[in-house]
Amino acid sequence: MAKQRRYPDYDVWKENDKWDDHTRKIVVKRKAAQVEHQFFDPNQALLLQAIVSQLVNDYRLEVLTFIVQHLDESVASPIGEAQRKVGVPPKQELYRQGLAGVDAESRKRYKSGFLSLKQEEQKAVLEAVSQGEILDRQAWEQLSPVDFFKRLLYDAVSAYYSHPLVWSDIGYGGPAYPRGYVRVEKGLTDPWEAKANEP
Amino acid sequence: MNHEEGVKRHCVHHAGVRSASMKDRKYAEGADVCIVGAGAAGGVLAYELAKAGLRVVVIEAGPFWDPQTDFASDELAMRRLGWQETRLVDGKDPLRLGHNNSGRGVGGGTVHFTGVFLRFHESDFCTKTLDGVGEDWPIRYQDLARYYDKIEREIAVSGPAYFPWGAFHGPYPYPVREPISANSQLFREACEKLGIESVVAPLAILSAPFEGRPPCINRGFCNQGCMPNAKYSGLIHHIPKAIAEGAEVLSDCMVTEIRMNGDRVSGVVFSHGGQSYEQRARVVILAGYVIETPRLLLASANSRFPDGLANSSGWVGKGIMPHSSHDVYGRLTDEVRLYKGTPVMALTQHFYETDPNRDFARGYTLIAHGARPVAMAAAIAAEREDGSFLWGEKLRESMLDYNLYARVTLVGEVLPHPDNAVTLSDLKDEYGLPIPKVTFSYQENDRRLIKHAIEQMKRIVEAMGGTPEHVVSDTAHLMGGCRMGKDPRSSVVNEYGQTHDIPNLFIAGASTFVTSGGGNPTNTVMALAARTADKLVEAMSRRDV
Repeated sequence: MAKQRRYPDYDVWKENDKWDDHTRKIVVKRKAAQVEHQFFDPNQALLLQAIVSQLVNDYRLEVLTFIVQHLDESVASPIGEAQRKVGVPPKQELYRQGLAGVDAESRKRYKSGFLSLKQEEQKAVLEAVSQGEILDRQAWEQLSPVDFFKRLLYDAVSAYYSHPLVWSDIGYGGPAYPRGYVRVEKGLTDPWEAKANEP
Repeated sequence: MNHEEGVKRHCVHHAGVRSASMKDRKYAEGADVCIVGAGAAGGVLAYELAKAGLRVVVIEAGPFWDPQTDFASDELAMRRLGWQETRLVDGKDPLRLGHNNSGRGVGGGTVHFTGVFLRFHESDFCTKTLDGVGEDWPIRYQDLARYYDKIEREIAVSGPAYFPWGAFHGPYPYPVREPISANSQLFREACEKLGIESVVAPLAILSAPFEGRPPCINRGFCNQGCMPNAKYSGLIHHIPKAIAEGAEVLSDCMVTEIRMNGDRVSGVVFSHGGQSYEQRARVVILAGYVIETPRLLLASANSRFPDGLANSSGWVGKGIMPHSSHDVYGRLTDEVRLYKGTPVMALTQHFYETDPNRDFARGYTLIAHGARPVAMAAAIAAEREDGSFLWGEKLRESMLDYNLYARVTLVGEVLPHPDNAVTLSDLKDEYGLPIPKVTFSYQENDRRLIKHAIEQMKRIVEAMGGTPEHVVSDTAHLMGGCRMGKDPRSSVVNEYGQTHDIPNLFIAGASTFVTSGGGNPTNTVMALAARTADKLVEAMSRRDV
């Protein structure tokens, strides 16, 4: 059985009136993510959403929509990538080829695109990509599957753990300005922080 | 490029003036000193030189932040405090750059550093003599001691009454921070069980009010930019003071070229809003950190200096070093809540010095380090020490226990190696400048040190009553690339940061480091900058440079 949340009653968003304006503006946008994209076409966006859903093991549409929107924005943006390994294509090429590669691998293995695969099959395809053990070499000629997987995982996980619903899941206190934290020592919590359900 | 949404685009700043127009420049006709980069080193230099009556211009590629409106309590959004322009990375251990180890904008990396404020030890300045590794610095600890004193006093560093390691044992100007976070408490208790001495970290974070700034409120977002201004940064301390003393700061201005006039530097060219401008100066100081400074020197090559400026030694760009900065995440049975409080509040330098019983030279600092969800999840997913990935159900289930995790972090010495270098690639950026390539591979000594440190970090987690669950491979800080030295054949600058080849071209900041030390470098960066400032004031008053 799937592991349970430690803080089922906690909703960090309820605290947003205690946050500074700039932070609130940033976080509220994530709660109402767009489904229109600048870089990904609708098919790519759907495929990406299905892949990301497996990576973060979550099926809530509002969270997945935000992740895909964030990835789309960062791939479309002229802002730099901070670093890019020699031999790895620039981000737009990486995402374009990587998504096509995942779909090609699905067809090679299961004669069907990634979207129509069963959960276990989707996981098996991603496992193969993460290990570089792909069967369709042609689809990955210019991009190492491991490089793609690493970049996508890093980006998707960064976005996922930026969503306030996920903050609530894990009991993260979140933004704390201007009030800060008063009780920081072992065993102490401020009154508004998440309280675990005692067994 | 300007990629910081919502930031006010004032580019010209001097006393009484904040303007979006280059027409309002104060020193358009020329200055005494032009400093490239408004980070830890640039801020100290700007203030000291302006105070001495010199006409100072600081040119900074990024924006002049306003902490209240530009910073936020958010990890993802605040990655923009790092240098995001694409650099190529190569080598066996390609570096993660950006927010991990660089700054962009006034204040540079001090805007998002953890504020850990350590001195190097005496041994750090002569590793070649003592251990037969690395290289000796042209200075010794004693040459820097009074500058450490000065900087620590000037920014009211808080720290313990007694610091057990190195040459300086305290006391610090401001009292030690209290209370400390659960993660730091657990770390100190575990160290004590194991017979390892530990302290509450010396921090450039206020423990009591200072110059109108409040003490820390334990918000915990040091790496995302301090909003209450309790943490030191050049943005809120040295740069405003420099401006009050007459300096001019040009923000959102990217220096693209160093101009020469015969054997001397005449100034720099910078780009703002798609236009090129010139800043003339008697002296130019490059304080653009470990990648941009060598890049600018190499990219400014001309017929007289075909291998790049100040590069007769061939050492420009070479010998760059990060700190190895692996993390061990351990799961406990009780809550730790890594998000709360100043991220680093306890550390030990028990393993700092070379120990003949170990199979490597030099050593490291271990730090109790908080972590927020994005940093932790991305690292345990995609940066695992064994090269595997954690994703899907396993990742989600690990993160459901987020509040049960403690974390210990390494700051380990990495020895200099000429193959670890900044070079120019064939690709061009938006200014037409070659995109730098940063090559890095650990050497054998570095790997042995890391292995030893991971074992100790696991022991500490176990002594907390926890289980080490995730070991993450990471680096922190950058040093070297324009190292100082006595011999112009094997170093780029002298002990004051003056380039051997061009008398009125100086380099300040971590790029002049000869070795990395095994502790956080910012105190040493600022102390060296203060020493350079003293020398320059003296030399310029005698018209020696």
